[in-house]
Amino acid sequence: MAKLVLSMNGSVLGNYFLEKERFSFGRKPTCDIQINDQGVSKEHAVILTVGNDQILEDLGSTNGTLVNGEKVQRHILQNGDVIEVGRYKLRFVNAKAMPDMDFDKTLMIPAFDRTKLKQEGAVKDEADTQSITTAAANARNVKTIFPLGAVRGIGGENTGREIDLSRSITALGKPDNSAIITRRPVGYFITHVVGKKHPIVNGKAIGDDPYPLDNLDQIEVGVDKLQFYLK
Amino acid sequence: MKLKNALTIASATDAGLVRNFNEDSVSTNEELGLVVLADGMGGYKAGDVASGMATMIIGNELKEHLGKGLDKSNGVDLETELLRTAITRANQAIYHAAHNKTQFQGMGTTVVATLFRDNVVTIAHAGDSRLYRLRGEKFDQLTVDHSLLQEQVQLGLISAEDARVSHNRNLVTRALGVTQTIAVDVRQERAQVGDIYLLCSDGLNDMVDDADIELAMRSIKENIPLLVRQLVMMANDNGGHDNISVAAIKVEKPFPLRSGFFARWFGAYV
Repeated sequence: MAKLVLSMNGSVLGNYFLEKERFSFGRKPTCDIQINDQGVSKEHAVILTVGNDQILEDLGSTNGTLVNGEKVQRHILQNGDVIEVGRYKLRFVNAKAMPDMDFDKTLMIPAFDRTKLKQEGAVKDEADTQSITTAAANARNVKTIFPLGAVRGIGGENTGREIDLSRSITALGKPDNSAIITRRPVGYFITHVVGKKHPIVNGKAIGDDPYPLDNLDQIEVGVDKLQFYLK
Repeated sequence: MKLKNALTIASATDAGLVRNFNEDSVSTNEELGLVVLADGMGGYKAGDVASGMATMIIGNELKEHLGKGLDKSNGVDLETELLRTAITRANQAIYHAAHNKTQFQGMGTTVVATLFRDNVVTIAHAGDSRLYRLRGEKFDQLTVDHSLLQEQVQLGLISAEDARVSHNRNLVTRALGVTQTIAVDVRQERAQVGDIYLLCSDGLNDMVDDADIELAMRSIKENIPLLVRQLVMMANDNGGHDNISVAAIKVEKPFPLRSGFFARWFGAYV
């Protein structure tokens, strides 16, 4: 269960469990946490619980709502976030809401009640359908610890040209005879994609499997000759 | 024109680096132009039973009906109807198994399916397994996840950018086997030569950015088996937190149902 720890000047004033779908705080006595502070608006902000998310929303307060020192309008709370309203601090505690979230087995839950949320004024009119990228923020592509690699042309049309291998995949060659260099956590690899001739590394043709590249390896893809190097 | 010669199909599935079991299932049928991918869940290791039932039942249903040589004249949206019916049957079968056998209790599965027929691709899905398409310069997601996360964005509760820090990515709002009836989204698109379609479970798109999925599809257009292997590898390189399944279909040639004189006499795809 997610909770808020209310404090001022370092002394804890209370713990509040977010048991309700809509949890409000402000100066008004009807708020779930009443905060008597002139810097706090009557209905200052609200926390909506949707599935595993707690979403903090400022309700147009005069002095604003800060999370970890930054002003927010809407924010998905993460474990350990510190919300500031007026002179008060609210620490958000929810072991489940870690940034490197668990990939718990997919659960089936019913779609939530749009009408109810609309009545509560919690949601805007439906936006157009949009694709969302769900790739976890912590699933950083290729957590590389080795230096950036690059290739320079040393023969063929691309002589003298240099290409940084900063993306996860870099394509080489022509549509009918090509290879890719992939950037992986353990290093760079070259893989044959298509064409009768497999790429040649230091004079030897590679097989079908990704082939690890070493600094200053010489690569041939079709008529192009390249040198791989680490920057 | 044989459908087999018009399409290149490849698939790969992997448990990932964290889980001991693979509860995803993928099945491809080149003769029918059918690819089905399912991501099972729940029950005590029963997720793979649910996803396996889904791919098998949908495949069998379509084989049975399309094998009869039905063609366009049987109805305007024959494929839509067939796919919807097949998925409905799979849902009922999984639902019954889940409710009659204690070891299958609580199991369910997502599904995404594509049926290539007469230059048209029919797309059906329920849950958060996805279909992407690369067409020339355009990269699109053709399915909309049935997930709480998607709903949150749709309702304006959170922005599409915030989806990355949400804790709801694992919550699907539709799955086969959970309720007696299932709402299936079905759409049809005209297929074009050069199109690449990519079906995947969330083990791919939760670990690999859409931009990198697109980059892989662009870079490895000419080798579809390598493309699916590469994507699985990228998901594992980024952590491999979940089972990863990927299937790709490249349209090499047009595939009209009736292409010539003989086709008219001898039925579909001779």
